[in-house]
Amino acid sequence: MIPQLVTVRYRRRDGRWRRWFVPVVPIVLVLSPLLVLAVVGGVIACLVFRMSAWGALRGAGRVLWSLPGTRFDLEDGHEGVRVSIR
Amino acid sequence: MNEERHQILRMLADGQITVDDAEKLIAALERDQPAPSSTDVVPSKTQPKYVRVFMDAASEGDGPSRINIRVPLKLLRAGVRLTSLIPPIAVTRINTELNNRGIPLDLGELKPQQLEDLIEGLYDLTIDMDDPGNKMRVYCE
Repeated sequence: MIPQLVTVRYRRRDGRWRRWFVPVVPIVLVLSPLLVLAVVGGVIACLVFRMSAWGALRGAGRVLWSLPGTRFDLEDGHEGVRVSIR
Repeated sequence: MNEERHQILRMLADGQITVDDAEKLIAALERDQPAPSSTDVVPSKTQPKYVRVFMDAASEGDGPSRINIRVPLKLLRAGVRLTSLIPPIAVTRINTELNNRGIPLDLGELKPQQLEDLIEGLYDLTIDMDDPGNKMRVYCE
């Protein structure tokens, strides 16, 4: 399943946490024209560098599909970033 | 086993044996069947799903530094498989550089099965480092 929600939390120097919720599917739908262009650009790049375009698309899809469950939690002193992909 | 049972049923259908005889024969067949030994049963070990990296370091500055990362093994597997997409020119250059640095590794020889084995090798990985003020732990769960 592709990621549904990306949650980004970051703590500023004043100690307050800010949260961003990024709903992936709506964002992808909104940016779909740009994504089509990016895919076309990627396919051209694959052909230029003699890579398998189908393999690259499949690999990118596999990476995207396996992202849910990833979590990064970094804190340094009063600053911190938490990224969670669900 | 099935063949013998079929034969008994065929004999019963042909009228060569009675129902009681057929029951006795089938019961004898089941008795002869060896009981499954405990060594045949492989314990189902739940496979880990994530690689966890914890780091807790005491810092002299603003405060302690902490890292808590959870990466799905599926993601590692998908990432490792992307190595098969490296263009041949890049593979040649990487191999040359690795050789120059004394690492005789040929990326072109890496097979998907070997990469799978590499990921599976992580299942039992546990790195535990404990230093005064600093702790680090890498493991699969």
